[in-house]
Amino acid sequence: MPAPQHPPRPQTARPAASAASPASAASPASKGARRTRRPAERQPSLDDPRIMLDRQISSDLYEPIPPYPTRTEREAEFYTLGDGEMFLNVGPHHPATHGVLRLVLKLSGEQIVDVDPVLGYLHRGVEKICENSDYYHVIDQVDPLEYLSSLFQEWPAVLSFEKLMDVEVPRRAEYIRVLSGELLRISSHILYMGFLALDLGGLTPILYGFIERDEIVEMLAALTGARMLFNYFRIGGVNGDLNHEFMSRLGDWMSRAGRQTEANAGLLNENEIFVRRMRGVGTLDRATALSYGVTGGNLRASGVPFDVRRAHPYSIYPELEFNIPTRDEGDSLARYLIRVDEIRESLKIIDQCLHNMPDGPVMAKLPRLLRPRPGRAWGAVEGPRGMLGVYAISDGSDQPFRFRIHDPSFVNLETVTTLLPGHLLADTMAVVASLDPVMGGIDK
Amino acid sequence: MDRSLRSRLEARLGDYLRAPVYQRNDETEIRIDPGAVPEVLRLLHDSVDLRFEILADLAGVDTGEVMQVVYHLWSPMSFDWLRIVADGLSRDDPRAPSATFLWIGAEWLEREAYDMFGIIFEGNRDLRRIFMPPDYTSFPLRKDFLLPDDAARSPGGGVRHVERTHAPATLADDPKAGIRRAPVS
Repeated sequence: MPAPQHPPRPQTARPAASAASPASAASPASKGARRTRRPAERQPSLDDPRIMLDRQISSDLYEPIPPYPTRTEREAEFYTLGDGEMFLNVGPHHPATHGVLRLVLKLSGEQIVDVDPVLGYLHRGVEKICENSDYYHVIDQVDPLEYLSSLFQEWPAVLSFEKLMDVEVPRRAEYIRVLSGELLRISSHILYMGFLALDLGGLTPILYGFIERDEIVEMLAALTGARMLFNYFRIGGVNGDLNHEFMSRLGDWMSRAGRQTEANAGLLNENEIFVRRMRGVGTLDRATALSYGVTGGNLRASGVPFDVRRAHPYSIYPELEFNIPTRDEGDSLARYLIRVDEIRESLKIIDQCLHNMPDGPVMAKLPRLLRPRPGRAWGAVEGPRGMLGVYAISDGSDQPFRFRIHDPSFVNLETVTTLLPGHLLADTMAVVASLDPVMGGIDK
Repeated sequence: MDRSLRSRLEARLGDYLRAPVYQRNDETEIRIDPGAVPEVLRLLHDSVDLRFEILADLAGVDTGEVMQVVYHLWSPMSFDWLRIVADGLSRDDPRAPSATFLWIGAEWLEREAYDMFGIIFEGNRDLRRIFMPPDYTSFPLRKDFLLPDDAARSPGGGVRHVERTHAPATLADDPKAGIRRAPVS
């Protein structure tokens, strides 16, 4: 049973990294003077920059062992080294961890024995902020969570609010939502392909990927006015109608998108080094994936055809024709190939949206001050990384009483605790990058 | 609304339900005691006519009077989302059984609920804070945790004095004066 209070720390761990202890002061000569200046019981934080000045840098500064008593049996077990094992910190500032993710790896030689992901370096308390802002403002608060595809973070929020208020969204607005969402899904997947190759040492695909992403982002900037944090969806519709610049850029891009996607994918699919570093690495079988609650391409790569667009349709997806690509291997290569297939499906969806786009308004009529009746609603959409959900509770006031954000990257990242052990250190990058985590959403 | 799901749930879980099955839009909601969580989740997961095999979300809720643990599940047998509200955890010592015996992925979701609400999940092997630093002592998403810079609820703040719907936060004399409470439903 997990103890909420701190159990006594096992003696096998090193003595606490107490920078304040007089024994570790820089030199005996300055010891006395320092002691008078600072009381001995002060416990400076390890983050204190002065720590570098007033003590010799010893190797224990870099040890990942927490400078506090271990809190659970699992933590105590992890931070106890066996014979010939060592710890290695990967991150939080590491070019291949996609943000401020910190993985504490327990290594035996070059083989990973265990892993403890440490989160929270980007925690901003967005749920609390949303519970203290009114319904219109929630949308721009949630925008920076999924910063690679921020429309998909706005979508479940507006979806749950529309359910709370029984708002009917105009059909043209739904089409524009799907159109811009699928564009952003392609842009996110292209970036995923590039960063995956970059983490494995291939520099070229990210350059080609950014050509496509830049074009998509520019056309969305013409539509929404922003390149990254769009703040475009509104409760009951979208912020603005399609315009000429967006449509002409989209037409130009669509004429070469399919060809360009195949070229980008061919760069990696036929690269022997890439394929051999991905195949059979980080295999997630079907039962484990379901047990972890993994969603999105990572789940479909393990053979479960779960896609919220089909499993629990929302918006206009029931009217559109597209396939749900699945694969049975469950390894990193399968997760990559699923994304490539999804880009092709998204191009089909965009094509259908453009051909069937209805006329009409893009916003429903809503009061300036929203006060939904007391109630609860859950809205979920399929983002590039999996299912994004929002559970909103209204108490009849103009602010959501509870605003819960479910982020797919959070659950997807959790699987590294089973995927990494047994692999080599160099495979960490292949596995983590193939799961496609976005730390903005994970840390909320 | 999936009417047949309602009858299936009533047939399978009759004794565990603490309130009538509630349905709205595309959601079905059941309310159970926190102690019955393992049995109910096991039944929902394993019954051939229910098969709720995907844990979509696990969230803590502080209603101002009690704590809740809310599960959202998805099943191929129904076109509704299923919401399970484990209701009535005491705010002073909120305890609920862990769902990790069925979904390993609940481990981090429960760590998050512990971090934000202080709900203790019995059976979770690794229940420690996940976002906040280890020396942190509060539970930020509780309703009596007020934001210091909350202009909308500060006594002189906000632009809609007339339309303000809840009392401003006054921590000086009564710490619970500004706490919002969920409606009785």
